[in-house]
Amino acid sequence: MNKPLGADPLEGAIGLSLPRLEALEKAVGDARFVEDMTLPGMLHGAVLTSPHAHARIRGYDASAALALPGVKAVVTGEDFETRYMGLVVKDETALAKGKVRYIGEPVAAVAAVDQETARAALHLIEVDYEELPAVFSPEEAMAPGAPLLHEGYGSYFKIFDAVHEGNVLAESEIVGGDPDGAFQGADHVFENVYELSAQYHAYMEPVAALAQVDRDGRVTVWSSTQSVFRTQANIAESLGIPMARIRCISPRIGGGFGGKSEATVQPAAVLLAQKTGRPVRIALSRDEDMTTMRSRHPARLVCRTGVMADGTIVARSLDVLMDGGAYADDSPAVMMFAMYFGCGPYRIPNYRLSGRAVYTNKLRAGAFRGFGNPQGSFATESQMDEIAEALGLDPIDFRLKNALQPGDRWIDGHAIDSCTIRDCLEALRDGCDWTARRAQAAARARPGRRRGIGIAAVAHICGFMATSAFVRLLEDGSVALNTGAVDIGQGSSTALTQICAAALGLSPEQVRCVEADTDASPYNSGTNASRVTYMVGRAIGEAAEVVRNKILEHAGELLEAHPGDLELQPGGKVGIKGVPGKTVSFQEVSIRAHWGTGGPIMGSGSLVFEAGEMDPKTALATGFMSFNACGAYTFGAQAVELEVDEVTGQVEVLEVWSAHDVGRAINPGAVDGQIQGGVVQALGYALTEEMVWQDGRLANPSFMDYKIPGSLDVPHAIHAIVLEHAEPTHPFGAKGIGEPPIVGIAPAVANAIRQATGKRLRRSPMTPERVFRALADEGDGVGIDWPNGQA
Amino acid sequence: MTDKLALSLTVNGERHDVLAPAHRTLLDLLRDQLGLTGAKKACNAGICGACTVLLDGEPARACLCLAANVGDRPVTTVEGLSPGNSLSAVQRAFVDTGAIQCGFCMTGMIVSATALLDELPDPDVGQIREGLSGNLCRCSGYVKVVEAVQLAARYRREEMR
Amino acid sequence: MKYLEPGTLDEALRLLAEEEDVACLAGGQTLVGVLNLGVAEIAALMSLRRIPDLNQIQVSSDGITVGAMATHAAVARDARLTGRFALLREAAGRIAHPAIRSQGTMGGSICHADPAADYPGVLVALDAEVQIASAAGRRSLPAGAFFVDFLATALEPGEMVTAIRFPGSAAAAGEQGVYEKFTRVDGDYATVSVACVLGMAEGRCRSAAIALGSCDVRPVRSAEAEACLAGSCLEDAALAEAGRLLAGAADPQTDTRGSADYRRRLIPGLVARAVSRARAGLEVPS
Repeated sequence: MNKPLGADPLEGAIGLSLPRLEALEKAVGDARFVEDMTLPGMLHGAVLTSPHAHARIRGYDASAALALPGVKAVVTGEDFETRYMGLVVKDETALAKGKVRYIGEPVAAVAAVDQETARAALHLIEVDYEELPAVFSPEEAMAPGAPLLHEGYGSYFKIFDAVHEGNVLAESEIVGGDPDGAFQGADHVFENVYELSAQYHAYMEPVAALAQVDRDGRVTVWSSTQSVFRTQANIAESLGIPMARIRCISPRIGGGFGGKSEATVQPAAVLLAQKTGRPVRIALSRDEDMTTMRSRHPARLVCRTGVMADGTIVARSLDVLMDGGAYADDSPAVMMFAMYFGCGPYRIPNYRLSGRAVYTNKLRAGAFRGFGNPQGSFATESQMDEIAEALGLDPIDFRLKNALQPGDRWIDGHAIDSCTIRDCLEALRDGCDWTARRAQAAARARPGRRRGIGIAAVAHICGFMATSAFVRLLEDGSVALNTGAVDIGQGSSTALTQICAAALGLSPEQVRCVEADTDASPYNSGTNASRVTYMVGRAIGEAAEVVRNKILEHAGELLEAHPGDLELQPGGKVGIKGVPGKTVSFQEVSIRAHWGTGGPIMGSGSLVFEAGEMDPKTALATGFMSFNACGAYTFGAQAVELEVDEVTGQVEVLEVWSAHDVGRAINPGAVDGQIQGGVVQALGYALTEEMVWQDGRLANPSFMDYKIPGSLDVPHAIHAIVLEHAEPTHPFGAKGIGEPPIVGIAPAVANAIRQATGKRLRRSPMTPERVFRALADEGDGVGIDWPNGQA
Repeated sequence: MTDKLALSLTVNGERHDVLAPAHRTLLDLLRDQLGLTGAKKACNAGICGACTVLLDGEPARACLCLAANVGDRPVTTVEGLSPGNSLSAVQRAFVDTGAIQCGFCMTGMIVSATALLDELPDPDVGQIREGLSGNLCRCSGYVKVVEAVQLAARYRREEMR
Repeated sequence: MKYLEPGTLDEALRLLAEEEDVACLAGGQTLVGVLNLGVAEIAALMSLRRIPDLNQIQVSSDGITVGAMATHAAVARDARLTGRFALLREAAGRIAHPAIRSQGTMGGSICHADPAADYPGVLVALDAEVQIASAAGRRSLPAGAFFVDFLATALEPGEMVTAIRFPGSAAAAGEQGVYEKFTRVDGDYATVSVACVLGMAEGRCRSAAIALGSCDVRPVRSAEAEACLAGSCLEDAALAEAGRLLAGAADPQTDTRGSADYRRRLIPGLVARAVSRARAGLEVPS
């Protein structure tokens, strides 16, 4: 399996920086996203959202809305039976039923002949609310006597053994070694509090769904989703429709970043289509998307580390508190993921990693690129620098001293097949000319500014859950690849096409990648967890192996040779090993199979990561959803050079280096693009992006007030440093790169600010105001909530 | 619901006679009435740039232009940059550099890049970043976008020869 | 909603007098955004697009006149705007982004009277006169009197802005205008902005006009602060005192761009930066 790179001429498709398969149609404006689609007779849907953070719904009066000319239907919680959906905890209904739990929660939906009429009708729907007391922070939610968001939480279906109480929806702990003893024996113990605000996914395409229900009740949904199968499951669960009667299709998707993993407006669109018998399209506006969908979890973390005088880390505790908002969504998993990386890419023998995710009357928080790891790593990687500084050690040397080594195991006893954190740190040190830049930072600063450079190490995982693939040989010898994986823009269809082509010695043009469609495609859990290139690549490897063997059998008959003596040759041919010139083409093989004997050639691959139990000799866990053996570990290291404006506190990032071991770059250009894009999204997270609620109302629900970086806000010099240490479990050695680039940037920024100014920020985003206050000796930002500088 | 105005617009060189209420934006008219869905509605507030079109040759937010106020000024959308099956130099460069990821912002980005190169045929990196500063992209990190515009400038020079 | 598109100024003024609740549509970069929110109650829109000559920028020896329909892009690229008027170019070039600047106009911007916008402080610092027309006649108002409150101007019903006149000469020796804008990200509204026009003679400050944006419901000027600079050599103490006085005159709001306290504390540093930059601009002949 673990061949040297580029050794095999069959694998010419690997390592090519091909443009996206669909780049051309996107460049000319032909790409069809959901809002670009119309169907005959289509109606336009709009969603009425809750004006209250917490209220009981006493009744609805839709008569005035229905009387408006052009309105075809109104649906509310009275239009469906109570059925719950959710990946981890099933606690959400298609629209609010009985209660609303956040401002912006969908309460009713309207279908009308056009968008303006649908929106006008929203104002005419009367909902009778009885307001209830609300909680807006985990602390409020956990206070004695706090109002409960989900009175029936105990009865909800959960996929794990949840420990919960009151509004705490999941509480978990992992303990390994003897943390208490180790802290006592440590020469130094560091303990700090870190906080992070909510980040909005800001995919450029707001969520949208187009639903059609035929006369037999069969449902078809085109939606902006990261998983047609999760969409199918959510519609089935929330509306009680058998999966066999639901078809979900993904047209082009305008980004996701985790925010389109679970249900969006698909159930509401289906309800309207059922009621009207006509196709209905719902496309949220930007402000609706921001107030209604989901965010990255706001978090507060307490990190404690015990070290010996020589810099050896002996103990770590990390306590994670996450604000989950009004519905569980992926909260327990995100919180546990932060815990799972609590020791980072380091050998720490004694640890206590704990976490709580809490319901509050705010927008639900959910999956977002990095999945809890950016929050956890902000705490741990900031503190790594604090420790190094206190001990007088170089930040990279201190990390290397404690770094995991090949052969080491993860905190749960899971073997790390390809452990390359040291390579990444060394590559980063060389790549950014660390020693010189660190030494010259002060001298190179522009007037009125202070310069610094900081780093952070990154550990992540790629993998998770179930995946399958079909590979079919078409009559002319070309290939159809069908995986059910949704390309949300990151380029997976292109990379998977390259993998399939290489597995059969074809060029990418000879492989057709089929778009995800639940009626036609094999199961794929979703475009999440940096998993598609790695997991689907493995499934394609299996499927292609079947196809390859069948091709060799047919070719053996045609060439009158033993299949064992045959070999694939580039371009879709089979030859006899060592006998030049005597070949048969895939087309000849396929025609024989289709029209002569054996039947059409196809292969399938299918796998799931079976979450193993944690090794009790290694660690003990309570309330934890095991991630044991759920994927391949990935490593990286990132550096940020920046300047801080002495007058305003504003941070200007000058240059970024992002070193990642990707196993093998299937499409190097796409790898660079993932790294550059991830870094910029991370810079937004670290510096400007912050969703702010006042009494449960999102105060900045627009791109005017919530600021993602534009081209002038980030450096052009973002250097992707790509390491290729082949991952043995993947047919071509590849690992995922979707998430790692977002993990280490915020702590690297904090560490660079520290070098530049001598001030330590422990609150992200590190807005000009927070940095300004730190410069004025007004603290590290913890407890400085927008807007008044008061906790 | 509202009185409609009889408008006559020239879009991508073609004249369209349409009825639209006074508050109808150029973006809604293009997308919903003319079937030109290349310009995207990502914020409808003029911040993101996904709906950028050329209005009389200058870049404009289609979401902040009222269709009634366009008058005789010609409108060019991304669809109008590549007549027939050809690609403009800018479109070709965006494809070739791998700058396009999800693509939702890219039609607006390509229109802005076209306007920039019309004004500055040989922009430096700073000018490119400035010229595209009003087009938000959440996928690319802008690095390859800037490279695409540099390549587009080269393609255009080659076309001129 | 009615849509009106007069072809002459007289016709526009007549329509303004006759129609109820008319909103003038200039570049539309703010107004259409407001319409898109679906909350505005406007009976009629009157586009100024076809009225001739409203977009002209005229420069003479005693001042410049910018037509209400001159776009930000046109102001930003007008090479005649030097010296004290360099401030105008700089501010226009920092309004939002290229596609907004190509459509948005000075008249439209100032009539919206957003205290976080770029032009109000610039007009006030340059002692601009806002030229106003109605069916009843013409008048002009000093910029300081034109901006009366948050999103509110001194325009009466039936009136519209036709031009903005900036007194002075681009060629005047020793005068330099700069615009110091601090934003969270490029193209945002200012967290705090400083419009500064400095007059220097023989190393000494002859005059200083400073107006702050985003620091109150309208641009903030302080006669005391300006007096404290005039006659000084712009030494640190004078700058600090001027900054202190301006910060004291400001009454900023807390919003997503920053708290009131932060904004107030930014003022001295940004004022010092603006003054230093203006002074440096005079030392290097442009």
